[in-house]
Amino acid sequence: MPSTTTTGIETDVAARAIGATKFYGSGDTEVRALDGVTAEFERGHFSAIMGPSGSGKSTLMHCLAGLDTLTDGRVFIGDTDLSTLSERNLTLLRRDKIGFVFQAFNLVPTLTALENITLPMDLAGRDPDQEWLDRVIDAVGLADRTSHRPSELSGGQQQRVAVARALASNPEIIFADEPTGNLDSTTGAEILDFMRDAVDNLGQTIVMVTHDPVAASHADRAVFLVDGKIVDEMMEPTAEMVLDEMKLLSRR
Amino acid sequence: MTLLTTHLPASETIAARAIAVDKFYGKGETEVRALNGIDVEFQQGRFTAIMGPSGSGKSTLMHCLAGLDRITNGSIVIGGTDLTSLSERQLTLLRRDRIGFVFQAYNLVPTLSALENITLPMDLAGVDPDPVWLDTVISTVGLADRLEHRPGELSGGQQQRVAVARALASRPELIFADEPTGNLDSTSGAEMLDFMRRAVREMDQTIVMVTHDPVAASYSDRVVFLADGRIVDDLADPTPDKVLDAMKRLGD
Amino acid sequence: MLRLTFRNLGANKARFAMTTFAVVLGVGFVVASFVLSDGLRSSFGDLSDEITAGTDLQVRPVSEFGEPVPLDETLVDEIAAIDGIRLAVGFVEGDESAMQPVKSDGTTINSVGPPQLTFSWVDDEGLGAFALIEGSAPDETAEFSMDVDAATSNGFVVGSTYDLITPIGVVEDATLTGTTRFGSANDTLGAVLMHVSLDEAQRLFGVPGTVDEIAIRLDTDTDAAAVVAEISQVIPTYGVEIVDQATLNAEQKADFNQGVDIVGNVLLGFAIVSLFVSIFIIYNTFSIILGQRVREMGLLRALGADTRQIRRTVLGEALAVGLIASLIGLLAGVGIAQGLIALFDALGASLPDSPIIVSLRTIVLALTLGIGVTLVSALAPARAAASVAPMAALRDGATLGHQSSRRRLVVGSTLLSIGIAVGGFGLISPPSSTLNVVLVLGFAAAAVFLGVTLVSPVIAEPVSRGLGWPVAKGMGTAGRLARENASRNPRRTATTGAALMIGLSLVSTVLIVGESVKSRLGELLESSVQADYLIIDDSDAGVTPKLAADLADTGQFAAVTGFRYDEVRLAGFVTDMIAADLSSMGLLLSLDLQSGTLPAADVTDVIVLHTDKAEDMGVGVGDTVTVEFASGDAAFLKVAATYDDDTILDSPIVPVQVFDDAGAAAVDQWVAASLADGVSAAAAQPLIDQIQQRYPQVSIDSAAEFQERFEASIDSALTVVNALLALAIVIALIGIANTLALSVHERTRELGLLRAVGMTRRQVRRMVRWEAALVALFGALLGVAVGLLFGWGVVSALPADFAGSLNVPFLRITLLVAVAAAAGLVAAWLPARRAGRLNVLDAISHT
Repeated sequence: MPSTTTTGIETDVAARAIGATKFYGSGDTEVRALDGVTAEFERGHFSAIMGPSGSGKSTLMHCLAGLDTLTDGRVFIGDTDLSTLSERNLTLLRRDKIGFVFQAFNLVPTLTALENITLPMDLAGRDPDQEWLDRVIDAVGLADRTSHRPSELSGGQQQRVAVARALASNPEIIFADEPTGNLDSTTGAEILDFMRDAVDNLGQTIVMVTHDPVAASHADRAVFLVDGKIVDEMMEPTAEMVLDEMKLLSRR
Repeated sequence: MTLLTTHLPASETIAARAIAVDKFYGKGETEVRALNGIDVEFQQGRFTAIMGPSGSGKSTLMHCLAGLDRITNGSIVIGGTDLTSLSERQLTLLRRDRIGFVFQAYNLVPTLSALENITLPMDLAGVDPDPVWLDTVISTVGLADRLEHRPGELSGGQQQRVAVARALASRPELIFADEPTGNLDSTSGAEMLDFMRRAVREMDQTIVMVTHDPVAASYSDRVVFLADGRIVDDLADPTPDKVLDAMKRLGD
Repeated sequence: MLRLTFRNLGANKARFAMTTFAVVLGVGFVVASFVLSDGLRSSFGDLSDEITAGTDLQVRPVSEFGEPVPLDETLVDEIAAIDGIRLAVGFVEGDESAMQPVKSDGTTINSVGPPQLTFSWVDDEGLGAFALIEGSAPDETAEFSMDVDAATSNGFVVGSTYDLITPIGVVEDATLTGTTRFGSANDTLGAVLMHVSLDEAQRLFGVPGTVDEIAIRLDTDTDAAAVVAEISQVIPTYGVEIVDQATLNAEQKADFNQGVDIVGNVLLGFAIVSLFVSIFIIYNTFSIILGQRVREMGLLRALGADTRQIRRTVLGEALAVGLIASLIGLLAGVGIAQGLIALFDALGASLPDSPIIVSLRTIVLALTLGIGVTLVSALAPARAAASVAPMAALRDGATLGHQSSRRRLVVGSTLLSIGIAVGGFGLISPPSSTLNVVLVLGFAAAAVFLGVTLVSPVIAEPVSRGLGWPVAKGMGTAGRLARENASRNPRRTATTGAALMIGLSLVSTVLIVGESVKSRLGELLESSVQADYLIIDDSDAGVTPKLAADLADTGQFAAVTGFRYDEVRLAGFVTDMIAADLSSMGLLLSLDLQSGTLPAADVTDVIVLHTDKAEDMGVGVGDTVTVEFASGDAAFLKVAATYDDDTILDSPIVPVQVFDDAGAAAVDQWVAASLADGVSAAAAQPLIDQIQQRYPQVSIDSAAEFQERFEASIDSALTVVNALLALAIVIALIGIANTLALSVHERTRELGLLRAVGMTRRQVRRMVRWEAALVALFGALLGVAVGLLFGWGVVSALPADFAGSLNVPFLRITLLVAVAAAAGLVAAWLPARRAGRLNVLDAISHT
C-alpha cells in the first residue's frame, strides 16, 4: 500500500479545506479563528502551516483532522467530507486514517512505548503489520526502549514514540501540532529529520503546524496564516525565506 | 511617586542581575543543561525582552530570576538581595512584595472576579491597595466596566490585561512576563504590548519579558538572545527587522 | 483568602456534594438515634407516670437468685384488712405470648411482632391502669377482653367467641367480653394487651392460689409509713418486699429506657460505622480536588501566598463542607427518625406519639462529629497542598506530594498490630461491661481498618494488576487501560477500596460467625443428641409441662422429657440447675457418664453432676449435697452419677419432682422425645399432628426440621444486621463513583488524546466502568480478608458449644464479592458517561 518513493511532483490531495470558517464565542468575546480558508495538502508531501500566535493555524489543523467542527465551509480527508460524518464515524476515521503528533502530552502514561505506538490499532482491534511496525520502530531508533514507560524516556524520545505511533498504522495523513515546541534545538532537529525521512522514504503525508522558521524549513511547502486567512505560501522553504516572509508579514 | 514621569534612558540602577548562572535538570542520560553560564543585568525602568528558540532556556532564566526556581550554580540578585541566600519563606515574601508576574496562560484564579484577581497579591500580604494607583492601573488597562466578571467571562486578551493589571497593582520593583501574548491574536497582542510599554515609559515600571515573537520583542527597549542555555546576542532599541536579522544570524 | 475558600466551594459544588452526602448520612443516623431515643424516653416517662399513678404501694415477691416464688393469694385479704388501706388487689400476669387468641380466619396474630400479654383484670382504673371502653370485664372461665386498638386492627368483635391458645391447651369458644384502653391514649407500642379474670389467669398459667403482686391504694390522709409497718407484720419475712410509687415509677422508666437504649445504641453503632467510612471518602475527595488545583496552588504560591495561607484555605473549605453537611445531617436526622417511627408503625409496632426533641447535646454532637470527621480527613491533603512548589503553576502535569510510603507503611503496620493486639485482648478476656467490650472491639476494628488502609497501597498495584488480568485479556484495549488505571495510583485505589472494605469486612464477619454457629449446631445434633423430636417455644413463655405428658400418653415414645431451668444455691454458690426425667435421659442425649448410673423414674432425691462440678465440690457418687431454692426451701440430694459431655447440658440435673417440691420453675424450656422401638416416624406422625394442633404455640420438630428452623432464624438475624451494614456499603459505592468522577476530570487530557487517536465513546465508557469494578473488587477482597481475620477472632473467642471451628460460607462470600464488583461497575455509570461525552478538542487543550 505505501508507495515507497515520492518526488515532490504533485500527486493527489490528502486533505482539503474549502471556505473553512470558524468563529469562537459570541458578541463581545467573538473570535474569528478561521476566515474563509481554502487550501489543499498533497499526498506524499510534508507541508507546514505557519503563522504567529493566534493566527488560526492550530484551529485549521484541528478542523482538517476532524477534532473540531467548522462554523462554515467544508473539509475533506481524501474523498470523505468530514461534515457528513457522525461523531462515531469521525472517531473511526481518526483512528484508521489519521495520525497525530501533539506538542505535549502525546503518550498515555500507563502504557509502554510499544503499547503507545500500537494504540490506535489496538483500539480498532486490528493486528499491526509486523514488518511495517519493525521498520517504523527501527527508523525512530527506539528498538531497545519499546518496553519503557513515557516517564522513563527523555522529551525527544517521547516525541519519537509519538511520531512512531502516528506512522505505525500507515495512515493517509499525519497531523503534527508544534511537534518540536517543547524540545531543545538539537532534539527538535532530530525529530524534524525523522519526519522528513518518513515522507521521503516511507511515503507518508505530513501536515505540521509551527511558528518556528527552522522547523518549517524541513517541509516541502509552507502556508502562511494571519488572523484566520491564508496570506502566502512558498515551495521548498528555507529558514531564511521564512524569516523574510515573517518580516514582510510583520509590516502589514 | 509621580505617576507621569518621562522615561529616563540609561538609568544606571540594576533591577536584576544573574552572575555565572547554571541550571541543570535530570541526571545521566536525560540530563538537560537549561542554563549554561549566564551573566546578564536588567536595568530599572526599562522594558527588556529575552528571546530564543524553543528549548533555549529563556523561560528557565526568567523562572530563576523571579525566585520561582532554584539554580544549580551562580547567583541571582534582585535589587541588592541575593536570592540564593534566601529561605523558601523569604523567597515567597520577596515574590509577594517585590515582584509581579504575567504568565502565558493560567494567570488568573478562576473562582475570583477580575478585581479580586488584581488585588490578590496585596490580599495575600494583608495590605490595602493604594486606591489612587489602583484606579490609575485599572483605567489604563481599560477594564473599569469588567471588574466584577470572572475569568471565564472574559476574552483571552482581557484576561491577560487583568494579569498585567495585577502585576502592576502592587507597584513591584520588577515585573516578569512569560510569553504574555502567546495565546492572543495579533490585534489583542499588540494592545497588550503597547500597554506594557506605556507602563514602563509612563509609570516608570520595570518589565522583563520572555518571548519567541519578533514583533512582541520589538516593543521592548532591549532584546537579549539565548540559544541552548547561553546568551548569544544583545540588541538595543529593536525593530522587528533587527530582531529577525538577529534570528537569521543565529540560525546560521 | 477566606474569599478564595468560599469561591472554591462554589466552584466545586458537585464534587463536594458527594462528600457532603457521605457526612450527611453518618451525621443523620447519629442524630436520628438521639432524637428517637430522646423522644421515646420522654413519652415513655409520661407513660410510666400514668401506669404507676394510681398505685401507692406494691407488695411483691423477691429472690436473691432464681425465679421469685409467687405470693399466696390469702395475703391479699389480710393486707386489705389493714387500716388505712382502701384497696388491695392481687395480680397475675402471663408470660409473653402465653395466651394467643385465634382470629376469625383461623390464624394467630403475628407472633414475631410486638408481644401479646395477658393480665388478670383489676376493676379499678387507678390500680389496673386499664379502663373499659365497650362491653364488660371478663369474669368467668373462657372469657377475655382486649385493648381496643388490637381488637380493631385484628378484627375481634365484642360478644363473639374465639379460640385461645394457652399453656393448658386450646380453650375453645372463649367470649370477648369487652375492649379496654391502656392509660389515657392506649399507647401500647403495638402490643396486644388482654385480660382474663384472676381465677382464669391462675388456671391458664398454672399458678392456682397465688398472685404475682399485690397493688395497694391508701386512704387519703393516711400515714404511709405506719401502713408499711402493718403490712410487714402480715407478709412472710423472707422473699417478699414492699415498694412505694416512686420506686415503681423509677423501675418502670428504667425498664422502658433499657429498650429505648438498645434501639438507640444499635442505630448509633451503624451511624458511627457510616461516619468512619465517610472519612475515607472525604480524604479522597480532598486529595483529588486539590491534586487538580495544583496549578492554582502554584499560581498562588508564585504570587506570594505562604504555606500557612494555603493550608488555611483548604482547611477552611473542609470546615465549611463539614458545617454544611452537619447542618443538613441534623435536619436529615430528624427526617430519618420520623421515617423509622413510620417504619415501626408499618411493622405493627406503633411507637407512642413522641415529641421531636433535638436537644442541645444532639446539636453539639452532630456538629462536632460532622465537622471533626471532615477536618480530620482533610488534614493530610491540606498539608500536601501547602507544600506545592510555585513552579507547579508553570508546568503541566504537576502533582501533589505525599508523605513517604515508608512512613505510611510503618504507621500502618503499627496501627494494624495495635488493632490486632487490642482486639485479641478484648476477645480473650472481655471487659465486664458491654459498653467497654464495644469500645475496645470498636477501637481495635478502627485501628485494623486504618492500618490496612495505610499498608494496602503496597499491594494495591500488584493485586489490581492480577485482578485486572482477565479484564485486560477479555476487554481489549479498554480493558487493558482500565487495568492500568486501577493500578497506576495505588494510594487512590487503596483508599477508595478501603471504604468498601469496611462494610464488606463487617458483613463477611457476620456471615462467617453465623455459618460457624450453624455448622456447630449440626455437629452438636449429630454427636450429642439422640432424640428424634425437639420442641422449643419461640416466645419466652416456655412449653407447658402438659405437652411432654401428652406426648408420653400416646405410648409411641420410649423417652420424653421436658427440661426446666432455674437458679439455685449449690454448696454455697449460685448456679443454674436443670430439672428433667433422668430415667429417660439415656435415650435422648449422650451424657457420657463417668461414674454411677442414671436413677429410675421414681427416685426423687438424687442429683447428677458434671465431672468438673463434682471435682470442684470435692464430691463423688453416693455423697449428699445441699441445694437451696429461691423459695427458701432446701433439698438434700445424693449424687447418683457424673457426666462429661457438656455440649447440651452443663449444669447439675435433678428429677422434676425436686423442682415441683421446692416451687422452682414449673415450665419446660424445651422438650426432647425419642420414638419407641418399632415405631416409625410415619406411624407416629398422625398422633404428633394431633398434639401439635392442641399446642399451636410450639412446633414439634424432628431433629432435621429443628436444625433447619434454627438455621433459618440465624439467617434472618444475619439479614437484619447486614441490611443495616448495607448503609456503609452504599456510602462506599458513592465514594467509588466520586473517585472515578474526579479521576476522569483529572485525566481529561489523556482521555482527549485517546479520543483523538481513535478511542470510541463506548470504549471510553467501558474503560472507566471496568476501572471502577477493579477498585471495588480490590476493596471487596480486602474486606473479605479482614472479615476472615475478624471472623476467626470472634469464633475463637466464642464458647466451643456455640461456634466450634471457623467455618467460611465460601459460596455466599464469593457472591458478595461478585455483587460488590458489579456494584462498582454500576456506580461508575455516570462518571463513565461523562468521560464518553468529553469534547475531544477541549480535552486536548485542557490545562
